[in-house]
Amino acid sequence: MERELQILWAAIVAYVLGGVISIVGVVLKKHPERTVLGFLSTGLLLHTVSIGLRWARLEHGPFITLFEILSSNVWSLMVAFLLAYWRIPRIRATAAVVMPILFVMMGWLMLSHPGEGHFPPTYRTPRLFIHIGMAKVFMGAMLVAIGVAGVILLRGAGIGVRKFDRLPEDKRLDELSFRCLAIALVFDTLMLITGAIWAQDAWGRYWAWDPLETWSFITWLLLAFALHLRVTFKPSPKRNAWLVIAVFVLGFITFFGVPFISESPHKGAV
Amino acid sequence: MPSTSHSLKAAASLPAAHGLTGPAGPTGLLRSLASLRLTLGLLVVLGAAILMAYQSEEWRSWPLALPLLALSANLLAAVATNNAFRRQLPLLVFHLALVALLLLVAAGRLTYLKGTLELTRGATFEGRLTTTDAGPFHAGDLAAVRFANQGFTIDYAPGLLRGDTRNTVAWTDGDGQPRQAVIGDQEPLKLKGYRFYTSFNKGFAPVFLWLPNQGERRLGAVHLPAYPLNELTQAQAWTPPGSRSPVWIMLQFDEKLLDPAGPAAFRLPEKYSVVIRSGEQRVELSPGDFVDLPDGRLKLDGLTTWMGYNVFYDWTLPWLAAASLAAVLSLGWHFWRKFAAKPWDA
Ligand code: HEM
Repeated sequence: MERELQILWAAIVAYVLGGVISIVGVVLKKHPERTVLGFLSTGLLLHTVSIGLRWARLEHGPFITLFEILSSNVWSLMVAFLLAYWRIPRIRATAAVVMPILFVMMGWLMLSHPGEGHFPPTYRTPRLFIHIGMAKVFMGAMLVAIGVAGVILLRGAGIGVRKFDRLPEDKRLDELSFRCLAIALVFDTLMLITGAIWAQDAWGRYWAWDPLETWSFITWLLLAFALHLRVTFKPSPKRNAWLVIAVFVLGFITFFGVPFISESPHKGAV
Repeated sequence: MPSTSHSLKAAASLPAAHGLTGPAGPTGLLRSLASLRLTLGLLVVLGAAILMAYQSEEWRSWPLALPLLALSANLLAAVATNNAFRRQLPLLVFHLALVALLLLVAAGRLTYLKGTLELTRGATFEGRLTTTDAGPFHAGDLAAVRFANQGFTIDYAPGLLRGDTRNTVAWTDGDGQPRQAVIGDQEPLKLKGYRFYTSFNKGFAPVFLWLPNQGERRLGAVHLPAYPLNELTQAQAWTPPGSRSPVWIMLQFDEKLLDPAGPAAFRLPEKYSVVIRSGEQRVELSPGDFVDLPDGRLKLDGLTTWMGYNVFYDWTLPWLAAASLAAVLSLGWHFWRKFAAKPWDA
């Protein structure tokens, strides 16, 4: 366990360095993008090793305790953001918005207890990976969306207008965040479907309004609401950005809050 | 691109669709019902209804059904009048799949069955449940379902954390062939549309031979409260068949069957006795012993286990899966088409 935690620490140091350099880069209007990419990829590699070692030791994936769920989500959100960072160079400066969110999660991860939990028999199925995988893509798409939305709002508030001037205009960013929302809706839908299929056999019912089910469904409805609002009222990019934040916050509370305050069997979340 | 010609055609038909009838006529009414602002309002109402449903079971029928019905009417009116659906076939398929899901869930609620049963090891299910909760139009053939419980194994991790449940069951299939399978946790036994799931309810059952003063001898088992959940209260009141005097039965053993300190497996105690109390009378029976009660003789034949099952019937399940798949595929298709047509930063 010591070794896993040391490697995790090293990963987090690499993430933080990459994040800080990206923020400093935005502030100083420099473009240390290769360095950032290097640090973040190194962090991801180390993090993967740490998760892999723990997986081999416990003989189950990181799906049970708060520590494991936070760790695997920092990992998957990092994968999502790195993909966006690598494939869409024009929005690399959104790292200045995204990385602080990940820093909060990393801080929370370091404070949570790395002890092990019980892997229930109902988790011994590929459905676990499918269901959780969908949820991770959903949150990943939302993270990219929130980075873009954050830039729209910061520029709208007159903060960093010049610092973010290399990014496309708000209308384009709005379109990109909308596309992320669309991907999020597809994967959120898939998450609900695969979850219902799994719940049918794991708990003998496909839906029972347990807290996590209820809040996931409300998140899905909010996504539908946000997309409909767009086609109905064509709101400004700023308003849309607030909607993105609302969906992200609700999704975040659903995945990282609800499972740990509820008493229902739906414990391990993402 | 084909969608352009569609949209031209759709645009051309718009004035006619708006109609000369004006907003007061039937078309106008339909258009108001199809309003996308109404959709937004109804989505908010649905969100509130869901929060209420979450708070209390009483709020899970009409408070949910009403906004869902209103949304369906809103959507069907939009399908009839909104050109966006004519231009974007995948979007239409997606929304229709949502309506199909809704109808299926409603049909499922009217015809489902949920219940529980307990079966002694070696006993056969004969179509009767201990508890039942069913929709008003449930019409399955549960009475004809038969299967036998042939015993189970359960492993426990240290700390008494339950591992896999493996329950062997046997039945006769449609061709009259005997069949056997191991079910447990997420592997139900599926017979005539009913799904039988093992539950965490399981326990011990003393087996008695009952020799009444009048009538036929009977062999049967008494299910004690679930174990290890009720580890300290392995007792049960019971009235032998045809008797008027209830007896009180308690299982006693000294062994630590499931030691939380290490891995363990569910098993019968090696040495045990059964205490029988009837009125003032109290006796402790070992296997083979008997006691004379006012209405007959009760002989302890042995000890076995019982398994509790949850039963679930909902014929809509495969259709729900199909409609969900249609919904998510068409949604993906819609966005794919839309996004592939133009890069985001064009
Ligand atoms: C029940 C009432 C509903 C009505 C009347 C309705 C109607 C519509 C209409 C007319 C459009 C096309 C807008 C356009 O392209 O001009 C649309 C788009 C859409 N609707 Fe609905 N809808 C309803 C419910 C829902 C629900 C529950 C969802 C759930 C996710 C949903 C998801 C979507 C999505 C994702 C789009 C595509 C948005 C886009 O391409 O930008 N709708 N809806």
